[in-house]
Amino acid sequence: MIELRTLNVNGHDYPVAVEAGETLLDVLREKLRLTGTKKGCNVGDCGACTVLVDGEPMNSCLLLASSLEGKAITTVEGLARDGELTPLQKAFVGEGAIQCGYCTPGMVTTATALLAHTPAPSTDEIKEALSGNMCRCTGYAGILRAVQRCDCYRGEAGGGKAAGPAEAAPETAAPPAGARHENVGVSIPRVDAADKVTGRALYTADIQLPNMVHGKILGSSVAHGRIRRIDVSRALALEGVLAVITGADVPETTYGVSPARYDEHVLARDKVRHVGDEVAAVAAVDERTAEKALALISVDYEELPAVFDPRAAIADGAPQLHDRYPNNLNTLVDHHFGDVEKGFAESFHVREESFTGNHIYQCPMEPHAAIATWDHDGTLVLYTSTQVPHYVQYMMAHTLHLPLGKIRVIRPAVGGGFGGKAETTPLDFCAALLSRKLGRPVKMVYSRAEMFHHGRGRHKQHMRFKLGVDRAGRIQAFVNENYLDGGAYTSFGVATAYYAGSLMPTLYHIPNYRYLGRRVMTNKPACGAMRGHGVPQPRFAFECLLNMVADDLGIDPIEIRRRNAMDPDTITVNELDVGSCEFKATLAAAREKSGWDGKYGKLPPGKGIGVGSGGFVSGAGYCIYRGQVQLSHEKPREPFQKKAIFPHANAVVRVTEDGMAAILMIGAAEIGQGSDTVLVQMCAEGLGVPAARIRIRSEDSDISPLDLGAYSSRVTLMGGHAVARAGEAVVAKMRPYAAALLGCAETEVVARQARMFPRGNEAHSVAWEEVARRYFNDNGPLVGTGCYKPPEGLGGDYKGAAVGTSPAFSFGTSVCELAVDLETGQVRIERFTDFHDCGTPINPRAVHGQVEGAIVMGASETVLEDVQFDEKGRILNPDLHGYLMMTIKDAPEIFSGIVDSYEPRGPYGAKEIGEGSTLPVLGAVAHAIASATGVWIKDLPITPEKILAALRARKASARAGER
Amino acid sequence: MYIDDIELEEAPTLEEAADALARHAPDVRVLAGGTDLLVDLKTGRVAVGHLVSIRRIEALRGIEETSEGLRIGALTTITALLRSPAIQARYAPLLEAAGRMAAPQIRNVATIGGNICGAVPCADLPPILMTLAASVELWSRAGQRHLPLEAFFTGPRQTVRRHDEVLTAVRVPEPPPGFGAAYARFGLREGNAIAVAAVAAGLRLDGAGTAVEARVVLNAVAPLPKVVDAAARELVGRAPDEAAIARAAVAARQAAQPISDLRGSAGFRRDLVEVMARRALAAAARRARESQA
Repeated sequence: MIELRTLNVNGHDYPVAVEAGETLLDVLREKLRLTGTKKGCNVGDCGACTVLVDGEPMNSCLLLASSLEGKAITTVEGLARDGELTPLQKAFVGEGAIQCGYCTPGMVTTATALLAHTPAPSTDEIKEALSGNMCRCTGYAGILRAVQRCDCYRGEAGGGKAAGPAEAAPETAAPPAGARHENVGVSIPRVDAADKVTGRALYTADIQLPNMVHGKILGSSVAHGRIRRIDVSRALALEGVLAVITGADVPETTYGVSPARYDEHVLARDKVRHVGDEVAAVAAVDERTAEKALALISVDYEELPAVFDPRAAIADGAPQLHDRYPNNLNTLVDHHFGDVEKGFAESFHVREESFTGNHIYQCPMEPHAAIATWDHDGTLVLYTSTQVPHYVQYMMAHTLHLPLGKIRVIRPAVGGGFGGKAETTPLDFCAALLSRKLGRPVKMVYSRAEMFHHGRGRHKQHMRFKLGVDRAGRIQAFVNENYLDGGAYTSFGVATAYYAGSLMPTLYHIPNYRYLGRRVMTNKPACGAMRGHGVPQPRFAFECLLNMVADDLGIDPIEIRRRNAMDPDTITVNELDVGSCEFKATLAAAREKSGWDGKYGKLPPGKGIGVGSGGFVSGAGYCIYRGQVQLSHEKPREPFQKKAIFPHANAVVRVTEDGMAAILMIGAAEIGQGSDTVLVQMCAEGLGVPAARIRIRSEDSDISPLDLGAYSSRVTLMGGHAVARAGEAVVAKMRPYAAALLGCAETEVVARQARMFPRGNEAHSVAWEEVARRYFNDNGPLVGTGCYKPPEGLGGDYKGAAVGTSPAFSFGTSVCELAVDLETGQVRIERFTDFHDCGTPINPRAVHGQVEGAIVMGASETVLEDVQFDEKGRILNPDLHGYLMMTIKDAPEIFSGIVDSYEPRGPYGAKEIGEGSTLPVLGAVAHAIASATGVWIKDLPITPEKILAALRARKASARAGER
Repeated sequence: MYIDDIELEEAPTLEEAADALARHAPDVRVLAGGTDLLVDLKTGRVAVGHLVSIRRIEALRGIEETSEGLRIGALTTITALLRSPAIQARYAPLLEAAGRMAAPQIRNVATIGGNICGAVPCADLPPILMTLAASVELWSRAGQRHLPLEAFFTGPRQTVRRHDEVLTAVRVPEPPPGFGAAYARFGLREGNAIAVAAVAAGLRLDGAGTAVEARVVLNAVAPLPKVVDAAARELVGRAPDEAAIARAAVAARQAAQPISDLRGSAGFRRDLVEVMARRALAAAARRARESQA
């Protein structure tokens, strides 16, 4: 039933034909092309689709468009008038309230309504008003600041820029006088913030190509089975269905991430190995029809016994997922450095404990999406929501047997990744195959439930840890034995299994270390790389165990860390090369700022304080695949070489012909973490012009040279070098022209603040653009290039030594304060105090934004999050009302501090922050809960139910003790 | 995740709504706020060919103060409840339940009628309304029925409402002097969380501070809102002191019939019921004492 309705949107009446069951969200996005309103969950859980109806915020996914005649609808596009951002939008831009930007339209729309009703909301009122808007990036801290500090806020602080109630993070608004740099070390607003706060930023699902059709993928309904027969005839017969493909239509070539274990087919060819495993794909005139068609495909499965626990899966006689992994053992790591037996024998105290992690899913707010289209010359153009455009290009080439050069990957705005978008998805492949078949662009978008079934979340680890220390608490020996629940495919898993051990010895001096890691296949969605890749759960376990040992010996937990803390310029026991290291400074600062000495062990029952530390690599030392950029079928499998074969980050800077702007081209993936902004800053520093003169083009592989992507926290360090060098290369070409104009030696020319002058004589200068024009007049385009290769020879010579190598390592310490309701077990995380050694920050606000986001994500995964499965391997909570993440009401107050540090191997002294900031969090929360309750919960997530059970068990054993 | 093959009728009057409902029964649902129903339609939990929207029926809107108390129109949104001066002044316990429901975007759309008619076992309004002795009006061509809310529910997502009936209003009597009620609720997170266990409690005290009436209703731990008479018996005829409240809370625990699901095991829910009952009763007793003055 289609009827013509008139909808009033942003002050205009739009006649629009709507179906009875059509939601306002779909009408806005698909019919009015107002794509600022986002689809995050489609069932009212996430708030990304919030619009105002007669001034009240509502989820447009839960409103039928046909019933809204006569209502005034306001979308994010209707907030700014005549191109002028509202005061609230300006505050979102200025206060770091925006990262990936996918929640931003809903967030700013909801907050606009709040301030219209309540010009002076309290902190609690703001949190209540925004409690239906999920954000996965910012930890809500910047959002709260923005509402409290916007020029229309009339609350506690009196509006304007006065500090709000939340403690302001320390920040550099402008470089201090006499600073060496003008563009780095400065908190400029994100370069994409204004687009994101107005709804202008285009994410993959927002893009509409002419003649485009829509695809959907059918997932397996059984956890383990052999496909006997697939009947697609009824689906093909449905009006509007254009094509259906199954395993018979996809390349035989398997794909994956770890080159030694490519074990996935684009669509299942014979077996399915988890519920949701991809079986068939449909293209139809619209998504609605494609989805309907899925229900008409009948698949006849021979159901096989399934196994869901890695410890059961590894046993003899367990159901086998893949022939190539006997006993389902996907990766076995057996590392032994030093002599642990001797270390334990020499220890004063040894403690052994078991810990269990949880199934965490990244849950970026933007669902995965892809659009594929083929140019007439046979070039595949793929728009995709990814963190790794180059690896997608590589894997498409590998799987479709095309040269890389015939694949153009466009990465539109990406609404968060956290590792969940660090590999090529079935959407990418199926869109490409369906598009080739139909000769039309094909768009495919995952639903929230499909995201969970695609998986690639954090590996759940079962961990047995043993730690030996001397009388003073100095570590003598450490053993960890981990079972990683891998799910049905390898994905990143080989690296995950190595990381779970290799980064244990970077934080503390561990003279004797043994790691036994087993990644085991189970009939669940494959696990992959998630923020802190493989390390957060072992780091949680280690930090808990270290705190237990400190208690056993009567040593203060921060003190025991100080005694064992890593020192600068150390080669670890597993041959990782630690350069700069201000770990001890983070410990001292966190102790001081949190008031630790007055609180630890001195709080009443139900109140707790805890500490955790952690750190991470600043970029993986080696590329994921071996050899050069070349179609993998044309070369034999290459032996590992201890050097980068090609540069991992590459940049081109082209100065416009008038010299007034520079275009920075680098294929680095902006996914919300802020890489575009810091790369612009570092390039500007290299060029000697203000950052505002630079536009970055990072989204198109036809324009921008290869960067390996946003993973292993690598972009600031590696991309930063490439862009700074490209900028410097431009200046080098300008030097002769500047020298001629200035009458000085070329080597004396300095470029700074868009002027060029002889060193030490700023008064005698020429305009930067004038020099650029002179160059262009003589030579044509003024272009500079820069690239970065990690240092040669990183890591040891043992098997797996490459994993964990990095040019530099970060360090950090978090103190968590919380309250536990001892009757219900409910945990209220109140405050975090965090200090980080991220080297010298390029953009301090962006650093704090990463820390704030990591703390809330990490705390959320410690106490709330868990993907749960039933006995048939079906996910019980593939949605955002069953899989719970912290809302703004749950998020703690956060103080984020940066200690002074300089990394000689980093650009302008910088290291990473994005992933390392997650690592201290889990242990700090667990420790604080233990100190509030007196019981250690070693099984994540630490739910109220587990706390109550542990309290009861302690009471029972105390009673038994009395008897 | 699309709602397909559905017809929507916007009924301008109760009569037309009732006729449309009768015409399409049982392949039909009433659409009020739709915050639950549209999710159920998208996810396939509910599959019907017809929706009858009652949103244009003005008679179903508004909160009316009558000589007996409040008459709350079925289409009153949760936000409207929260903003009502009458409710703020004299029905504060209702705010406790309404204010913890879902998120503002949902509360701006979801209606009191929908929260009741959906009969979801963890809906927040019915238990507290039951302690306030609320009743519902049901209208059909055959006439109007008026029943106590506790007689309305028959099971999870099941009520006595016939297909051709529309719930038109909820009546809440004026709380008598000496009456206090409270709602204690446990959810897994602070914002936008479904109740894992909750207890609504109401107490009326005489001039001597003795409970003359008590009502304890459990939420999310039984197929329908569960009135625990055994808990009331522990309180009536006594001062609601700590010991009496504790005994009533144990009775509440024993009466709970929770299931285990991803939000918590049955045992955990029983623990929560006892704690929530204690907290709700303590708050209700405090309010009852305050309202004596």
